[in-house]
Amino acid sequence: MNILQSISNGLYATFVKDGRWEWFLSGLGYTLLISLAAVLLGLIIGILAALGKLSRIKPLKWIASLYVDVIRGTPTMVQLLIIYFIIFAHVNLSPWIVGALGFAINSGAYIAEIVRGGILSIDKGQTEAGRSLGLSQAQTMMFIIMPQTMKNILPALANEFIVLIKETAVIGMISNIDLLGAAKKVQGRTYDYLYPLLGAAVIYYVVIKILSTCLNRVEARMRKADER
Amino acid sequence: MIYINNLYKSFKNGELKILKGITETIETGEKVVLIGPSGSGKSTLLRCINLLEVPDSGSIVIDGTDITAPKTDINKVRENLGMVFQHFNLFPHLSIMENITLAPIKVKKQPKEQAQQRALELLKRVGLEDKADSYPIQLSGGQKQRIAIARALAMDPKIMLFDEPTSALDPEMVGEVLEVMKELAQYGMTMVVVTHEMGFAREVADRVWFMDDGNIQEQGTPEAVFEHPKNERTQLFLSKIL
Repeated sequence: MNILQSISNGLYATFVKDGRWEWFLSGLGYTLLISLAAVLLGLIIGILAALGKLSRIKPLKWIASLYVDVIRGTPTMVQLLIIYFIIFAHVNLSPWIVGALGFAINSGAYIAEIVRGGILSIDKGQTEAGRSLGLSQAQTMMFIIMPQTMKNILPALANEFIVLIKETAVIGMISNIDLLGAAKKVQGRTYDYLYPLLGAAVIYYVVIKILSTCLNRVEARMRKADER
Repeated sequence: MIYINNLYKSFKNGELKILKGITETIETGEKVVLIGPSGSGKSTLLRCINLLEVPDSGSIVIDGTDITAPKTDINKVRENLGMVFQHFNLFPHLSIMENITLAPIKVKKQPKEQAQQRALELLKRVGLEDKADSYPIQLSGGQKQRIAIARALAMDPKIMLFDEPTSALDPEMVGEVLEVMKELAQYGMTMVVVTHEMGFAREVADRVWFMDDGNIQEQGTPEAVFEHPKNERTQLFLSKIL
């Protein structure tokens, strides 16, 4: 058997036989779904945590700081296992939802720091102008500071989404629904590591390459619009 | 009417004393210009009047309301106080129209159409009615400052505070901003202006306050302060800038 034939046999067994390409497609779908849900939910958590950390109300500050500190100081995989096997142990939720929740709670801590930095980078004069017009602190935050912050941190958020696509591979600890899970399922059938794992790696790489290229384009366009 | 009574303000936990017991009165409709060397407390005093800086002690009473009292709703007070900043502080993410109508709509709950109509009137008044749909980044410094004045006027304030409104402008744009301020003065607005524009002070001010070292060292009509300064520090300061 020559080498070409062996490659073609391996690819056939991994992607074509029994419609296994559908497993990869569905796995990729879940990977993207979990990442997107996590980054959107994480954004809400992150904004709340950032506002908490910047708050003058001491208990809010403590809770937000503790959350960010604990999440950033423990491994993602440990957090995921705790959420799946302890917190949601007796709740019948589909693994992708638990995964998305877990990654959202994880990502929220990192997004909180992005949002906090974004808020602090807005010129103090913006707050003073808002307050001097009679807007309350909350109104100033909502109509003046947050819109500018969100625009500034958009690239960092998109980057967080791309990071999550890679990080969500550890969801394999609780379920094999994601892209890497598809590779593992195929490997279980073919007893071959090479093609499923390399295949998964290539798919991850291509998807991330496409997304980061889009992100760079959008960023460049935003910068240009600002120079108008 | 504004009563300022024995006002003290310091920064860095009291290490840096900026205002050292200021007591003064500003009549309704009066135009007061604050002059003095940098670090003398002019801007701090102005910022205390709308509580952007909270004084350490002393009180400020505006039209019968003690704004330094803990129970005072400062947002309510600020509705009557317009402020114009050295660096304009327009909102870059909003169009000029939105810059002007934001506070009337959100704070005064004006209907959008009414706020926009008023904004157009104000834009006309500052000579920028064609800029309603522009964004701040598209305007020159002088135009930005005129918009900032229109934005403050949209809340129909009784008192306007100006914190070095022309200091960040290129020289050729100073005139257009001062023109708008002079016009405002003719309408009878109460104005408190921190500025280095002595020509403006001479022309518009009812009274000039010379501040140095956290106190008002000398005050009087522009003529009295500029032509016959009694205080040594005033003489020294004026000799440097005139």
